[in-house]
Amino acid sequence: MLAMAAEAKLSHTAAMILQAISAGYVYGFSIMEMTGLPSGTVYPAMRRLERDDLIRSQWERQSIADAEQRPPRKYYKLTADGRATLEASRKRYPLLDRLISTEEASSR
Amino acid sequence: MKSPSEVAFSVLQRGLLSGAALLVPSCDRDEWRREWLAELWHVRRSCISIDETFSLDSQREITGFCLGAFPDALCVRNLSDRTSAPPAHMHGSAAQTLLWLFVILLLCLLVTSLLPGVQAENEAARFQIDRNVLLISEAAASRTKPSIPADLYRGWKKTPQRFFDNLAFYRVRRETADSGSARICWNVARATANLFPTLGLPLTHTAETGSDLSSIVLSHEAWMRSFGGDPRIAGRILRIGNASVRIAGVAPAGAWQLPGSPDVWLLEPDAQIATEVSAKTPGYLFAQLSARGQAARTSPGITISARDPENIDIDLSGTPLTEPVEGPWNLYEFALFLAFIALPAVSSVSLGETHLTSHRPSFKQSLRRFLFLGAKFALIAGIALFASFDLAYWYTPNYSPVAECVQLISCFLVCLTGFRWALADQRHRCPVCLRRVTNPATVGLASRTFLGWNGTEMICMGGHTLLHVPALPTSWFSDQRWLYLDSSWQFLFADTGIY
Repeated sequence: MLAMAAEAKLSHTAAMILQAISAGYVYGFSIMEMTGLPSGTVYPAMRRLERDDLIRSQWERQSIADAEQRPPRKYYKLTADGRATLEASRKRYPLLDRLISTEEASSR
Repeated sequence: MKSPSEVAFSVLQRGLLSGAALLVPSCDRDEWRREWLAELWHVRRSCISIDETFSLDSQREITGFCLGAFPDALCVRNLSDRTSAPPAHMHGSAAQTLLWLFVILLLCLLVTSLLPGVQAENEAARFQIDRNVLLISEAAASRTKPSIPADLYRGWKKTPQRFFDNLAFYRVRRETADSGSARICWNVARATANLFPTLGLPLTHTAETGSDLSSIVLSHEAWMRSFGGDPRIAGRILRIGNASVRIAGVAPAGAWQLPGSPDVWLLEPDAQIATEVSAKTPGYLFAQLSARGQAARTSPGITISARDPENIDIDLSGTPLTEPVEGPWNLYEFALFLAFIALPAVSSVSLGETHLTSHRPSFKQSLRRFLFLGAKFALIAGIALFASFDLAYWYTPNYSPVAECVQLISCFLVCLTGFRWALADQRHRCPVCLRRVTNPATVGLASRTFLGWNGTEMICMGGHTLLHVPALPTSWFSDQRWLYLDSSWQFLFADTGIY
């Protein structure tokens, strides 16, 4: 029931962000770049998606960041509810797959 | 090497993030800041060209990215506000009630510590005039009016006395004093130097005068009124009339009983009293009973037959000056005792322990319940003590019997109403979790009491109990009843925590 409620409320922006994460754009800036949305839209939307348990965040291990001489990043990934909601959203927004395709992300 | 423009933009961008971070609740701030700084590092790397030449467009893009931190910070704040709202179980909980009572107690204590009148009452109770000191006055005259001529005092002082050890004398006159900054009109008592030792009152805030100037002793009231209770007042030089005098100390608040309402006592040697005060000038005479006098005394007051300097028989009376000052603690104990005695008259002392089911709270739950009630009573008793001080001495910085009376009455009333509230509050607290039961629902109709019952039902928000309170006590339903809810009810209550 909760998933159905979330699905009904999901905006196009939120659906795009879910699609971007699903496609492998797993941190804020890459989602911004892919969706073309400004930071003031993307990050608050991700907070709400995380609150609704559609995505989950995790800090990158410090050792990996140190090896690449950069600060560690916070990565996001879809939860089971998030995947179900995204699946429902794809039916609602049929162009979502074409906007952000999985292949594009994997080629990066 | 970075150009100054780049440095300026970098500072601006970090400043924007720091400013936005202030909007984020402190518990989330570090992680939020860490994420945005990491993202900023990647944004910079992406936007700034490889040769690192300064580009205004790039910097504008990075700054735009940083401006997005503000909506994000506000979003985090809003989400945090919703999730950090006080949990339902805190409302009306035992801990919350005790916390409020404790805060009230602290506030009352704080106000009390700022009121000088409370110290004055303590002092008045501690330093009282020696009960063997009598005020000698003409039998026919009022003891509040001066009636003993100075000549009589001198005569008695010269002759050996069998019943009195010490004699002290003063007369009161209105005089103007100059404290250097202001001119004050005072009731100045020109007194013999042995006045305070005779009365058995030690001076407070004293200092060694060590000079030829006459000494004065301020009354507690004048000290508070004219010098704001300055503890370093001793040693200051004033002018009274045409003479300079030095303040030797302050009379304790217990001196309020001395007649004539003196503001200051100007202490003078006997020789000066003899030369400066005319023979007929009436004043107040104090006599300290000797051991023989104490043995001969059969009642608090005595009558004396004497002869005046013109050898005419006069009737004198000696009355003790000591009027009992109960002191704050004695009054408090008395008010507390009265409140406990009066409590059953204004409230039922029953805690409404009747249960509809055979379920009984465990020993631990019962103990916790009574400890909570005891803590409420203790905190209310403390509040009553300090609140009564505050009410009694709010307007006066000095001890007075009226303030003492206000203290007694207010302490009694606060205790009585407070204890009554504590019992009523206890009757509406779930025996399991000590929360107040809520959501009252009226059940039944008064016109159908014969077949059922009518009253109010309230439920514990933890889902432990249901309270039935009859609107009309009947022979079969006279007191409130608790119904313990089993676990099948729990799913209705999101919050099952206790306390």
